[in-house]
Amino acid sequence: MIKVIAACVIGAALAGGSAYMVTNLATESTATAEPVNETLYNYGDR
Amino acid sequence: MSRWLPWAVGLVSAVLALGPALGRGYVLRYDMVFVPGLSLPTVLRGADGFPRAIPSDAVVAALSRVLPGDVVQSLALAAVFVAGAAGAARLAAGALGSSRAGARVAAAAAGLAYVWNPFVAERLLLGQWAVLLGYAGLPWAVAAAVRRARAAAYTAGVLRSLVPAAVGGFSSVVLTALTAGPAALWGRGGPARGALFAGALAVVSLPWLVPSLAAGAAGAATDPAGVEAFAPRADTPLGTAGSLFLLGGVWNANAVPPHHGDPVPVALRLALCLAAVAAWAWWVRRERPAFGPGLTAAAALGFAVALLGASAPGRELTAGLIDLWAGFGPLRDGQLYVAPLALLQALGLGAAVHWLTLPADPPARGGRGAGALGLAAGAGAAVLPVVLSSGLWWGAQGALEPVQYPRAWREAQAAVAADDRPGAVLVLPWSAYRGISWSGEPVVVLDPATKLFDRRTLWNDDLAVGTPDGGTVVVRGEDARAREAARVLEPDPQTGLPESLDAVELAGLGVRYVALSAPVDNRFWSEAEGFSVVVEGADMTLLEVLPPLVYAEEADISGLEVTGGLVTVGAIIWSVARSGSSLGFQRTGSERRPGARKEIP
Repeated sequence: MIKVIAACVIGAALAGGSAYMVTNLATESTATAEPVNETLYNYGDR
Repeated sequence: MSRWLPWAVGLVSAVLALGPALGRGYVLRYDMVFVPGLSLPTVLRGADGFPRAIPSDAVVAALSRVLPGDVVQSLALAAVFVAGAAGAARLAAGALGSSRAGARVAAAAAGLAYVWNPFVAERLLLGQWAVLLGYAGLPWAVAAAVRRARAAAYTAGVLRSLVPAAVGGFSSVVLTALTAGPAALWGRGGPARGALFAGALAVVSLPWLVPSLAAGAAGAATDPAGVEAFAPRADTPLGTAGSLFLLGGVWNANAVPPHHGDPVPVALRLALCLAAVAAWAWWVRRERPAFGPGLTAAAALGFAVALLGASAPGRELTAGLIDLWAGFGPLRDGQLYVAPLALLQALGLGAAVHWLTLPADPPARGGRGAGALGLAAGAGAAVLPVVLSSGLWWGAQGALEPVQYPRAWREAQAAVAADDRPGAVLVLPWSAYRGISWSGEPVVVLDPATKLFDRRTLWNDDLAVGTPDGGTVVVRGEDARAREAARVLEPDPQTGLPESLDAVELAGLGVRYVALSAPVDNRFWSEAEGFSVVVEGADMTLLEVLPPLVYAEEADISGLEVTGGLVTVGAIIWSVARSGSSLGFQRTGSERRPGARKEIP
């Protein structure tokens, strides 16, 4: 019984996660995480 | 089929994650800089300070003599995924010791989870391919550490497993010591095997250890300011500790994959990580894999080290340690040490899949249907990490696009290579990181001009890190000659350019060429006397310093460093020759104590 419940949870997680990620990908612009419009840059930003 | 499954998992994950990055051209991003024809002697001579690029860059330079540089880069990146996934999958399969379909799915799940997680995504987006290569070698090192064999065979096996760490350099070796060291100590052989393991680690460390000891003796130091700059940070709503538990928390906000911190994937990933840790505990208690206690201790210790950077007292302690001895420098980037936890969680997920696919005992009615359901659930759990870490998909969603170097860059490289007179190349603007625009898809990257030429380059190795309040923390560089150049140049912090170029001063610094590796108004150099223009392009201008008397101090590679490198290479060749294979892998099995149950309903 517990395995059936686990399978249902995994199925729901897969479906939910996939739907969320695909929706995000479909609406994603092509912008990169960091704007690059100068010459000199920090090593990174916290 | 089962023999090749781990490698197939690695290959598929490499193609899915890297995608366009495996094509022709150079992928440039943050610390990841590959150039055509990287010079081996220049890499070996290095610069002042700790040799962070050795031996990874030396291996790249050696391979670049027989293969194009971009192909070498593709192979290095693919090796991370193939070796990592195959290693974790085989470690799981060896410990499960079953050939059932469920066990194969469990092994594949472990392999996939090990290379498809926020740790790999963030380090890849930070360009730290050498660290990731060491990470890929961790499951191999753990397996070798608990192998049952005579001393010579054991040592040879450990040496073979340490090849990725040997290439990766000091961070990789530190990670390997943390991850596999406890398993070696608490494994079957006890302290004697631990001593052999430590000896093997020392042997593969010689290429960077010898020059770093020399640099330390020469007064090179690590700036404790790096503790604040490189401390882990919260990249999910769960805070820093929660982010680290989810294998994220890298210091650089620009290295976090898109949507990583969204509530939906965070909640699902948290559930997955908790389930994996719970399954690990179940597996270690029931099956007792030989590496179980050691890896548990390593993951706990690594997590504790990572957490040090999450609190002010922890950061103060780390800074104090670094102040005391520069050798504690690797502790400043604390998120690195969640790597053993990543392996534990990957194996835990494999254990969870194994549990899902176990047959009922006694067989239940409709057993075949239940078995199919278990397999389907296991396969679903295996691909969950891929779904939840979508930031890695196909070249990290476009962040890893290969580019070609502009013609002016290749011409500048060739012009300097054709000149056999000594003298360094000064790289301006005086700032290490650039937003290069010639790639078409602009990215921030360590200036490739720092590695482009076959001679010593002088560049600003200070690391500027932006803080959330809009300020900047500057971590001092370690190159003494660069500091001297900065004192002479007095560059404007906004432009990275000195007010003017003085050929006599530059000649005194031992500079033969000046490379302007960014678009710079030509009035900056056209009015300077004592220079001739060798190459002029939109984003690369190469100037030659005309005074004939350039004070050129050429560093030599010491005999001790050569000996250290040869000992490492010789030891690895011996270990490979002893096994007759390039990278042996040993079944680790379980302790099989009377209380250990092989299969649990």
